[in-house]
Amino acid sequence: MNVASRRISFVIAATLAAGMSMTACAASAPAASGGSSEKAGGTLVYLDAELSSNTQLQSSGTWQDSAYVTNITDRLLDRDPETGELGPYIADTWTVSDDGLVYEFHIIDGVTYSDGTPLDAANVARNLEWQAHGDADGGIPANNWFPAVADITHDDDAQTVTVTLDEPYAPFLNVLSFWRTSLVADATIESSLEAQSQLTGIIGSGPFVVESEKYGEEIVLAARDDYDWAPERAAHDGRAYLDEVVIIPVTEDSVRLGSLRSGEADLIRYIQPSEEAGLEAAGITVVGVQGAGNVNAWELHQSAPFLDDARVRQALQHGIDRQQIIDDLYTDNWQLATSIVTPTTFGYVDLSDEFAFDPDESAALLDEAGWTERDADGYRTKDGERLSILTYVDVFDSTAKPLFQLIQWQLEQIGVELVIKETDYANYSATLEDPAIGARRNGWPEADAWVRQTVNYHSQNTNGFRLQEPDEELDALYEAQGAATNDEERAKVVGDIQRHVIENAYTLPILDDTQVFGLQPYVHDFTTTYEARPTFYDVWTENK
Amino acid sequence: MTPLAFIKRIGQSLLVVALTYVFVYAVLFLLPGDPIESRINNPQNPIPEDQAEAILNYYRLDRPPLEQFWTSVTRILQGDLGYSLTNGRRVSDLMAQGIGETVTLAALALVFAIVFALLVALVGVFAPWTPVRNVVSTLPTLAHATPGFLIALILLQVFAYQLGWFSSIRDEGFKSLLLPAITLGIGGSAAIAQVLIQSLTRAANEPFVTVLRASGTTPSAIVGRHVLLNGSIPAVTLLGLTIGELLAGSVIAETIFSRTGLGFLTEQSVRSQDGPVVLAVVMFVSIVFTSVNLITDLIYPLIDPRLGSGRRRRSLVTAGASS
Repeated sequence: MNVASRRISFVIAATLAAGMSMTACAASAPAASGGSSEKAGGTLVYLDAELSSNTQLQSSGTWQDSAYVTNITDRLLDRDPETGELGPYIADTWTVSDDGLVYEFHIIDGVTYSDGTPLDAANVARNLEWQAHGDADGGIPANNWFPAVADITHDDDAQTVTVTLDEPYAPFLNVLSFWRTSLVADATIESSLEAQSQLTGIIGSGPFVVESEKYGEEIVLAARDDYDWAPERAAHDGRAYLDEVVIIPVTEDSVRLGSLRSGEADLIRYIQPSEEAGLEAAGITVVGVQGAGNVNAWELHQSAPFLDDARVRQALQHGIDRQQIIDDLYTDNWQLATSIVTPTTFGYVDLSDEFAFDPDESAALLDEAGWTERDADGYRTKDGERLSILTYVDVFDSTAKPLFQLIQWQLEQIGVELVIKETDYANYSATLEDPAIGARRNGWPEADAWVRQTVNYHSQNTNGFRLQEPDEELDALYEAQGAATNDEERAKVVGDIQRHVIENAYTLPILDDTQVFGLQPYVHDFTTTYEARPTFYDVWTENK
Repeated sequence: MTPLAFIKRIGQSLLVVALTYVFVYAVLFLLPGDPIESRINNPQNPIPEDQAEAILNYYRLDRPPLEQFWTSVTRILQGDLGYSLTNGRRVSDLMAQGIGETVTLAALALVFAIVFALLVALVGVFAPWTPVRNVVSTLPTLAHATPGFLIALILLQVFAYQLGWFSSIRDEGFKSLLLPAITLGIGGSAAIAQVLIQSLTRAANEPFVTVLRASGTTPSAIVGRHVLLNGSIPAVTLLGLTIGELLAGSVIAETIFSRTGLGFLTEQSVRSQDGPVVLAVVMFVSIVFTSVNLITDLIYPLIDPRLGSGRRRRSLVTAGASS
């Protein structure tokens, strides 16, 4: 939701606070008709805070679209959300050569897409080719998480697919478990960019199929009766318990909350931290899910004034009181960041001591960097220039504004001015290209945080830290994590990446990214993927 | 109006529409950011330069601005509105959905606006009790000062969340139209009611009313047939503007009531600067506005034959507006 509509929401929330609390008492708790413990059947009404905008697998990136795609498709491999362990899915077995170059997957029998075509070795090979190379004429880029692929072959008799890489690529299996690498029917690969941009154009083999969609109003997912290839980790076999999932985008916060409270909705995503307690008091279950991946952090752009000095960046790291942020603005459903990745991410190392809140340390670092004078407003100066950093409120994080304001206040205590500006959703990406902007919020749940970092921060890729000179050590570490041929080796490298990024204060870790869902007490077995996307397969409702 | 004046008036309307197109195209082009750039520079999934070229080339965004403009104009003249850059849907499909929803909503809202305005104006001017007249006469000001979203949320709060008569999120057909139409109708009725109260009061005091009363015409016939007709001319002018207001007001009503009409389409497309959709929406609105203005101009002489001459009409409207 953009800033303007958020502002309206605040006004609305304030105006109607009294009315809403009355409703909390007045609205009768939705009756679980019969309280049925029979799992099969029923409809789940799910309200998301955002509209489905684009479902093209390689180039779209919105959270809600990835959630819907996840439920109508399957992937080659499954990922345990708790442990991150890979498991069989459409490939029941797989091998990796010792040199990390050749991957062979065996495809299970009998899987079909919702258009009736088979999901077999030939189709998997075609999917992987399409992901690796895209379709330039059709405006479809390659999946930028994919390694350079030398060859992809398939054996129709043995139902195997063999992928040969140019160079070892340790995260490859993780990438194959990610929603972006969901398997789709040939018809989807052959369709236009416009067709693939709509959920109805994504023909998958997943437990649900898109029954209907009215743009902006609702998407109805219906269970596939013949679905019989859920991953082993799932709580049951066969078709999904629910008959239907009705997805309704409700961008207006107060309406989404009101609909949940009044029992019209069964599940909603995104709840302001300040609303959580009220919902729980009204009998709603509030679930905060930390997906694995990069934490919610502020990447520092060294193209901006003063931030090319490591001591200034380190002073900022020690100037942020994360505990105060959690205590004042968030709830127990949220956790403070303890590294640049979340604890369930492969190779995570707890480095919280390295960037702990320590204003004395910040002061010493800034003194050492020559920021010893103070101006009339109390900000540090050097050669008559104020130590000032520009940032823009993040448009993707619905809790961003108070967070930015509290950090602004905290940095003011160490004599650093944080100038906060705002822009809207449409202009955010273009505006943030300005080299004078010092900090940008980044970090989301991902199948492999290290691939994401390599794409974002390797100086030869999109150079997200805006380094003026490449950091060859960091580049080499990013390359080494990809080239590692065993977990032990890779874990050591990614440990070094975390230490290097924190030591050089390239980024300011703030919170573990959290998706907050509210669900009715009669909805059971709600689960999410490793990357915190909701999965509806095992969900069942007493309210038939 | 002479045939020449009529053609000239239509020519003016077409020029307004064409200039609107050029202006909006230029603004969209000059503003930073668009859905494609957002996709390429999305911090969640930045697309490296070489891959981004495939996307830019596909949308012809690497071509010179004038070539892009010309392509857009020629396609529009052929009736091809193109595709949304955000969600890949045909703009004509999005417009059809949006127009259908909004026209239905605006039509019902207009009915509510007229009914509310007439009721308030008639009670406010002709009610036999002064306190009632005074209280009712303040209602338009109150409606004018109350933001649409507040009315919408109060209606939702009472009728959807507490009484459960309406769904706040599901499409229930005609029933779903009522709350948003009442919201818009209340907003739209305010100005009409204010003007009606003024002009009815004035018309009721004109000498012809005394003549009618003296001739034995019943009070209800005087109000219904004569005063109302004479007093409604300024309100008809306002009605044209109200239709525009209803279209504009639908942005908030549709967002709150989860409806997917033109207001919703406008909000979504402007938010993401989805050029083809923004252009189509603005063109539609400009065509509606110019058409309504045109029709209003043509309707005056039918209500009051004295307004047949342009010079006389202008002076009367000015007098009405300034009173």
